[in-house]
Order: sequence, then structure tokens, then C-alpha cells
Amino acid sequence: MTEALLGFGAVFVLALLRVPLAFAMGLVGVAGLGLLRGWGPTAASAAQVVYDTGFAYTLSVVPLFILMGNFVARAGLAHELFRAAFAFVGHRKGGLAHATIMACAGFGAICGSSIATAATMTRVAYPSMKSLGYADYLSTGVIAAGGTLGIMIPPSTIMVIYGIVTETHIGKLFAAGVVPGLLCAGLLMTGVALVIRRNPDAGPAGARASWPERWAALRGIWGVIVLVVVVLGGIYGGWFTATEGAGIGASGAFAFAVARGTLSPRLIFDVLLESARTTAMLFTILIAASMFSNFVNYTSMPTDLKDGITHLGLPPLMVIAAMMLVYVVLGTIMEELTMVLLTIPVFFPVVTQMGFDPVWFGVLIVLVVQVGLISPPVGMNMFVMNALLKDVPMVQIFRGSALFCLPLVVGLVLVLFFPKLALWLPGFMA
Amino acid sequence: MKRLLDGLCGLLAAVALFAIMALTLVDVLGRKLFSNSIPGSLELTEILMVVVIFAALPLVSLQGEHVAFDSLDEVMPSWLRRLQQVLVDLLCAVALGTMAWLMWGKAVDMTGYGETTAQLKLPVGVFVGLMSLMCGLAALVHAMLAWRPDDSGDAPLNEGGGAT
Repeated sequence: MTEALLGFGAVFVLALLRVPLAFAMGLVGVAGLGLLRGWGPTAASAAQVVYDTGFAYTLSVVPLFILMGNFVARAGLAHELFRAAFAFVGHRKGGLAHATIMACAGFGAICGSSIATAATMTRVAYPSMKSLGYADYLSTGVIAAGGTLGIMIPPSTIMVIYGIVTETHIGKLFAAGVVPGLLCAGLLMTGVALVIRRNPDAGPAGARASWPERWAALRGIWGVIVLVVVVLGGIYGGWFTATEGAGIGASGAFAFAVARGTLSPRLIFDVLLESARTTAMLFTILIAASMFSNFVNYTSMPTDLKDGITHLGLPPLMVIAAMMLVYVVLGTIMEELTMVLLTIPVFFPVVTQMGFDPVWFGVLIVLVVQVGLISPPVGMNMFVMNALLKDVPMVQIFRGSALFCLPLVVGLVLVLFFPKLALWLPGFMA
Repeated sequence: MKRLLDGLCGLLAAVALFAIMALTLVDVLGRKLFSNSIPGSLELTEILMVVVIFAALPLVSLQGEHVAFDSLDEVMPSWLRRLQQVLVDLLCAVALGTMAWLMWGKAVDMTGYGETTAQLKLPVGVFVGLMSLMCGLAALVHAMLAWRPDDSGDAPLNEGGGAT
């Protein structure tokens, strides 16, 4: 137990000293295992981890979903989504904010990244809200929080990684994200309504669209619908695996982007390279996390923790709630993926031991990551928006993000106490 | 130097990623529509994954895209920040260099045993060697950054950003 705690401490200290998190985890993992087990076997196991993670067919699902997200981000599909949502609700007070959340949810169904969703919607929705005179905290808060729907509504890169690390069925995780994703969207829209009730000037109404205009706008989103039905429908219906679905989705998004003429050869190369770099960065973290978890699993910590909790006779749900509290607090300052990968080796055995469904726990993990991404002071969604919106003070982005954290926390509590919200839809899968 | 690395590794990684995408599509279509899959497509995907990950690794290092906790940067005096950067880059260089050395050993072993992939009989050792080479290149990049930092300002924003 002590060795593992020292290990965790060492990773935190190295991270504070600005050692990249992957290197911190990898170094501590290898050094720890080397001290416990001897250097010869440790070197061999480290090389084996690198080899196994490199040559892994199932892991190709990761770059393919990233690629799909990056292609749809460039294909301009987000514009159509926003236009369609705007046509229906834009004439109401706060209507643009509602439209933004709806467009984020739609975009989340073809993109698996919260950051990419937030960045795309910043370009698409922020200018409209600005020109209508929306308060900055409302517009940025809505985009930052709406962006996190990208990882709850399938596809979702973080679900894929959770599925790989814990050997949980990725298709079921995807299905489990649908209802909580829509729930979060609904909660965020409730949040907007409450803000508007307190301060009607924060979100003025836009022009009303006529019904012919609405139908025309709706017809514009057929591309998104085709991608969603083929990719998610195919995976849910068991037509193909998540990896195959990702390949088809990436190809489809590529075809759309080319057909719309939004991609020059140079841009295609850039998208490919950007996706490859993201992949390399992620795999460095994956490899290092796996080295670290080899070390933690060699210590007595996972069993000690399991035994300790059984011994104390704590109510299982309270244990999970405590884990979620740890995540939400850590998530304010830590990078979320690393936080999850660091803690999975000790938390996950406890969760399965208590008889909980790993799919449900995966959805909870995504929810805490969502909250972490928009809880100041550290959260990637806020940083991306800050980089894109040079004239908006960071304080406004923080204010809006902190405000719209609350509906997501409500969502977390709901899924925690009503697991059916997550587990109902995957229940129909074979 | 920087441009050469960007061009060569970038091209390799980008082409490999496109190939994975196309291969998966053709393979699935072939299997579902003509019940005829591409022989060895699984192995090819695995090898291409190695190329994507490891060819892009030096570029991630070069652009400083490894996730790090950088919130303390603003409160640190610049000389301390510079010292820290040298030490961190040296640490990364040593870690990646060690990895390169370990993988090289593995590559030599595998070539010695004449290990090949199951269907296409491709020599696995060669690709493990590529892993080693790219780790070594990334180690060099960090050593270079420790010697002379990239002072062109902040790393460009990667909006495809991470898993989250």
C-alpha cells in the first residue's frame, strides 16, 4: 500500500514540476516496478507494453474516431445544425443559447471530442450571439458546457479509451451515453431558461423564421443524419464493430468534406497530421498509464482498498459517490484523461467487486470529465475558447463555465442514483 | 531540420492514417457486400498503427504537445522557468532514449528468431526497429529543445485536442 501511495505522490510532484504527465506516469511506473521486482523483468515488461500498445488492431478505433471528428469539424456540418436549431427556437428569449446547445448535441453525435465540439461551436455560434447582444458569460458558458456533450453523446473518444483500458464493450458504452447525453442537454437548456428569467437582457430574441424556412434548414442537416444512422445505428444494431464503424464514419466524413469542397489537398494533409499527432500524444499517455498500472497492480493497494471497503461495510453507493466527489474536486485542476487513467487501476476493481455495472461507471466517468473540462481554473474547453476569442476576458469564460457546471453536476447526481438512465438503452443489445 | 522532420515524419504518419481509414472501409464493404475480406488487413492495420503513432511522436515532442500541468508558468521567474525546461527536456530525452534502446534490443531479438506476421509473413523486427528509431528521434528532439528552446511562442492550438 505504502509503495503505491508513494508512487501516486511522485507522479503528482513530477507533474507539478511540469514533467509531461505521460513521462511522469511512465517513469514512476517503471522505477516503482523496478525497485519491487528487479530491473531485468521490468525492462522486458516495459518494452512489451510499448509493443503491445503499438501493434493492436482494436486500438485503431481511437485515431479513426478522432479523424472522423476532425473531418466533420472542417466539413461545415456544424453550420447547418446551428442554422436548423436557430430556425426553430431563435425567436425566443435566450433562443440562440438553446439553439447552440441543440447544435452541440447534434454535433456530438458525429464527433467524439469535447474540445473539438467547443472549438467548432465557438466559430459557428459565438458570432451570432455576439451580434444579437448576448452577455459574454452566457454565450461562452453555453458553448463550453454544450461542447462537453461531444464526449457523452456517442461517439466518444474517452468512452473508447475507458472501454479499452477496462475491457468494457465499447458499443454498450456508446448506447449508454445517449440518454444521459440528452438529459444533460435538457438540463443545460433549463439552466439557460433560469439565467434568462433572472436577467432577460442577457439573451435577446432573434428574428422568427417562417415554416418554409424551417423545413429548408432542416433539410440541410441530412448529411449529419446519414452519418449518425450509419455509424451509430450500425454499431448499436451489431452490424459492425466499433472499430469498423469508426473507419466507415471517418471515410464518410471525409467524403462529405470533399463533396462540399471545403477541403483542399493541403487541408486534408493538415487534418490527417493533426489527428496523427493527437493519436501519438494519446498513445504516449496510454502506454505510460499501462506501465504505471502494472506497478500499482504489483503492490497490495488494489486488494487492500477492496478489502478495506468490504471490511468497513460502507454502503456501496456511498463509495461510488465518494469517488465521484474525488474526481470532481481533482478535475478542477487536473487534466481529466490522466486523472481517470491514474485512478482506474485502484477504483475499477472496487467498482466491479461491489457488483456495479462497468458500463454505468463509464458513463459516470464521462460525466465527471465533462464537469472537469469546464470547472475553473483548469479545463481544456475554457482554454480553447480563450484562445479563439481574443476579445473576451477569461473571467467571463470562467464565470459562464462555472455557472453551467451546475446543470452537469445535477446530471451526475441523477445518473448516480438512477443507473437505469444509462443502462436502459444498452439493455437491448445482444 | 525542423522542416525536414515535419515533412518526413508528417508525411509518413498522415499517409499511414489515411491508409488505415481506407483499408477499414474497403475491408468492411468487401466483407458485408461481397463476403470477401482483404487478406491480412488486420496485420496491415496493426503495422500502420505503429507507423501513425511512432512517426508522429517526434512531432508531438517538437511542438510541445505532450500534456503537462503548466498553470504555474505565469508565476515563475523566467530564469527558473528556463532551468526547469532544460531539466524536463533532458529527463524526457533520457526516458525516450532508454525506450529506444530497449525496443532496439527487442527488434534485434525478433529479427534473430525470424519472427513474421501470421498471414503476410512480414518481418515484425523491422517495425519494432522503426519504433526504436522514432523513439530515438523524439529523444533527440528533446535534447535539442533543452539545448535551444523553441522560442517561436506558444504551441499552436490543436483543436482536435486530446481524448477530451
